[in-house]
Amino acid sequence: MQTSNKLYKFKEELPLTSGQTLDGFELMVECYGNLNQEKNNAILLNHAFSGSHHAAGEHNGTLGWWDDFVGPNKILDTNKFFIVSANNIGSCFGSSGPISLDKNGKRYNADFPEISVKDWVQAQKLLADKLKIQTWKLVVGGSLGGMQSLQWAIDFPDMVEKVAIIAAAATVDSQNIALNEVEREVIRKDSYFYNGNYYEHGKVPTKGLKAARMLGHITYLSAQNMEQRFGRKLQDQQTKLDDTINFEVENYLQYQGGKFADVFDANSYILLTKVMDGFDPSAEYDNNLVKTFKNISAEMLIISFASDWMFPPARGKEMLKAAIKANKKCSFVEFEGAYGHDSFLYAEDNYPDTISTFLEGKL
Amino acid sequence: MILEALIQNWVPQYAKVIDLGCGDGTLLESLHQLKSINPYGVEIDQKKILSCLSKNIPVIQADIDESIRDFEGLDFDIAILASSIQCLRHPDKALSNILSIAKKCIVTVPNFAHWQCRLQLSQGKMPVTNDLPAPWYATDNIHLCTIKDFEMLCIKLGLQIDQKKYLGTASSETFLSTRFPNLFASLGVYLIGSK
Repeated sequence: MQTSNKLYKFKEELPLTSGQTLDGFELMVECYGNLNQEKNNAILLNHAFSGSHHAAGEHNGTLGWWDDFVGPNKILDTNKFFIVSANNIGSCFGSSGPISLDKNGKRYNADFPEISVKDWVQAQKLLADKLKIQTWKLVVGGSLGGMQSLQWAIDFPDMVEKVAIIAAAATVDSQNIALNEVEREVIRKDSYFYNGNYYEHGKVPTKGLKAARMLGHITYLSAQNMEQRFGRKLQDQQTKLDDTINFEVENYLQYQGGKFADVFDANSYILLTKVMDGFDPSAEYDNNLVKTFKNISAEMLIISFASDWMFPPARGKEMLKAAIKANKKCSFVEFEGAYGHDSFLYAEDNYPDTISTFLEGKL
Repeated sequence: MILEALIQNWVPQYAKVIDLGCGDGTLLESLHQLKSINPYGVEIDQKKILSCLSKNIPVIQADIDESIRDFEGLDFDIAILASSIQCLRHPDKALSNILSIAKKCIVTVPNFAHWQCRLQLSQGKMPVTNDLPAPWYATDNIHLCTIKDFEMLCIKLGLQIDQKKYLGTASSETFLSTRFPNLFASLGVYLIGSK
């Protein structure tokens, strides 16, 4: 499946939860399948922290991040459903973010306003209006995308029929925030960072960004998965990326970190980790998750992976219990997951069938 | 009176019900249709979990032995343990914990002292009956008991049996199954509360 993207421009002001305002914004969007006449077959797909709108099919030679799940006759079947996938504000893949230009034609850099998951949902609501979509059959996402899906069900209960919250939690915990802060610090301490105004100096803090991603990447894997994949295997002399490398796992992280730093923006990285840290839908409801969930009318599915140490099953169950206490229809399914936190990306076990059965109500 | 109808009689309209070991969700589905209950199934088998999802019955993947107390404080009116108590590692603990998650509990117990079981044992074979259909090598049952055993355990644990029905092999009460339950009832069905 070949896919193409489209840039949606919004002239209206977007009031942000921080109290600031975005004076117009843009969303880079990919859509798959066709919206039917009744406009009741739309699905919203939310990407994770460093993901993009490119979720499925091939675009410029790369496959989308959830291509196993989205396409003709796949789990989210594009013969039946119209699937919308938008790059979030603050990211760096075409939607408004630190690398965009403000009204005066000046690059935002580090001055891009503080963003929240709630702001993303508000922006996507305007996108839904533009696409003439009044209800989502399903809102689904993994990790930060799962949190965004939950926020949708809370903020626009009448628009969400079903919500699938995968490898996510109702907040990030102290350890997550701590790791994110180390990642941010590593970027800030790159001598090319210039307080975020690196483009004005004709430099990019690639080294800091790469190191930050290497740390982040470890948290997306599981100890067991790393042991199986790399163990203590030594890196082959010919292919090692530099002389200081001994083990395969070092080479892998160096390669992945480098690849990431070439395409991602450092200010976006800092901004988006802050979005993740700040996520707390219960803040508006006396910090009470049960009260937060009272408004939800969507049927909920929570999926956790046992090997995920960022958001382990206990964090999924926390949402489940609040949902049951609030008398909501909520299912919880747990998979071992061979890839740690990243397991949500892979179509393994009954995981894909669980989503499609939840969506379509048949086996 | 078939088993499901019996259970339906004990479940109030709009009750919040948790079925521990809900299987494919059939019981919760019929309770939902007839009593408009708010259903939650608990099941460990992922194939059965998919069946529940296909019936649009909310289902929670969990091991009953380890997780009953996870459901404390969630305001269930009724907890159901339908033919699953004999599969648990700690049936006694499960029974005493179950009333900490729901006001009332419905338990069904296949009776190992039913005459068919006694007859087959007297022939030197492990019983295979309608209520205990699997052969010994393929059964999930690890803690089988008799009607008498179960009722004695309830006394020991201080649980009050509010209602009980003794069903014969045709899943209905008969003269013999009510008169001599430990011999003629193949299934005991109980509504339990705490004293």
